[in-house]
Amino acid sequence: MWKVRTSVEKVMIMAQALEVKQMSTGPSKNFVTIKGTKEGLTIFLDDQCSYETLTKELREKITRDKQVFGNGPEVDVQVDIGYRYINNNQEAEITSLLEEAETIRVKEIRTEVITIEEAKKQAEHTALTSFARIVRSGQVLEVKGDLLLLGDVNPGGTVQATGDIYIMGMLKGTARAGIEGNVKAVVCSAVMDPHQLSIGNTYYYAPERHEKKEKGPLFPEPVYAYIEKQNREITFEKTRLLNQFKRQTEAEERVSSGE
Amino acid sequence: MGEAIVITSGKGGVGKTTTSANIGTALALQGKSVCLMDTDIGLRNLDVVMGLENRIIYDLVDAAEGRCKVRQALIKDKRFDCLHLIPAAQTKDKSAITPEQMKAIVNELKPDYDYIIIDCPAGIEQGYKNAVAGADQAIVVTTPDTAAVRDADRIVGLLEQQADLASPKLVVNRVRSHLSSQGDTLDVDDVVSTLAIDLLGMVVDDEEVLKAAHKGEPIAMNPNSRASIGYRNIARRILGESVPLMALDEKKSFFAKVKSMLGLKA
Repeated sequence: MWKVRTSVEKVMIMAQALEVKQMSTGPSKNFVTIKGTKEGLTIFLDDQCSYETLTKELREKITRDKQVFGNGPEVDVQVDIGYRYINNNQEAEITSLLEEAETIRVKEIRTEVITIEEAKKQAEHTALTSFARIVRSGQVLEVKGDLLLLGDVNPGGTVQATGDIYIMGMLKGTARAGIEGNVKAVVCSAVMDPHQLSIGNTYYYAPERHEKKEKGPLFPEPVYAYIEKQNREITFEKTRLLNQFKRQTEAEERVSSGE
Repeated sequence: MGEAIVITSGKGGVGKTTTSANIGTALALQGKSVCLMDTDIGLRNLDVVMGLENRIIYDLVDAAEGRCKVRQALIKDKRFDCLHLIPAAQTKDKSAITPEQMKAIVNELKPDYDYIIIDCPAGIEQGYKNAVAGADQAIVVTTPDTAAVRDADRIVGLLEQQADLASPKLVVNRVRSHLSSQGDTLDVDDVVSTLAIDLLGMVVDDEEVLKAAHKGEPIAMNPNSRASIGYRNIARRILGESVPLMALDEKKSFFAKVKSMLGLKA
């Protein structure tokens, strides 16, 4: 912990030194700005000037300031390119330019721009699509993202989603959540009586008919199905506890993305 | 202008042909003019159930291919003047006719009848597509068992995709009250809640139906059988009457009747 703090402080000092230098050369060429932030060193690249101007200045700056970075420990930097769209080649060029200063290691290039394709994909995967219908025997209802079904899934019918599945009716057929490998997806149903249920690649098969003692659904009250972490088995829990599960998964995601 | 009603089920052996014959007969009993149409080409038997197998000269395929006029293929029923039958061909198979030909025949017949009852073959292939092609309404027949309900559900799904078809109605056939009340089979409520379509009627399992089929006389002709009453009620509901569902439990004792009248649990 102590070590980290010192390196950040060091970076801050370096950044300050650089800014002083910039001031002396004049503000006209100020397309590359280096700042020390809470997360470490961030290099801001102007998003209005031409790409050539930017790389030119970047090259100059790095060769000029090599000695500033020259000695000392390796520093992770983030590069913020604002609203500029760069392709993969350009991204590689910027990275290699920066890493010419041997102590710089580009950790991440941040951008405010994504392609329409990426945007659509993201929207699909976070969207909740709802249907008011009955999924009958032989029918397959598939969506990207989460699925909300206002109706039943009859025996022989299938619903599948890359995300969660919520059914405001009876699930009597097959439900597949997280079909692209999301093991944190859930299947939630007002009346849970599935033939088969899967989350990611984990499967649950309903008890054989002759094993069922009582007539009626598997669960008389709304439940959700999820993968229990210890045994990696599909487990059912009352729907009113879903918020706890969701909160827990979100916290885990935050931890894993923060590392 | 008549209405064409297709009787279908998906699964075989649930009583499509029996239901077609009896709904047709019951409608004729109500004074309506009815044409029965057997589309089970290669496996015809609606003519046998109706007892008209000896009179067949031309069939549906002959009419479709223009070897005879549609009117020549019609067989008059021996009991009613207003009840006619177009038999299926026995020597060809389902691909002998196309949905377009079927539609043309149904449309040609519609002006002359109040109802055209189309008996659909089992399955969801060519034969089913032919039978559904000309229909305005559909009746799905099922028995209260899991497999039949599964297939009926599949059929309902397919019928719902047919844009020019009204939403299908349900007939639950061969209901056995003592089994479903003990929870050993599905009961009518289970079937209706699974399929989520309107219940047009139910017909109890009745030995008389077998005897009647053997004689070539539809059970609907016999006013004393419970199955017959079931079919007659279905016909009345098709005509727009509101008829209450038949009580399933057989002859209660006098004491039980009094108890239920007093609101006590019988």
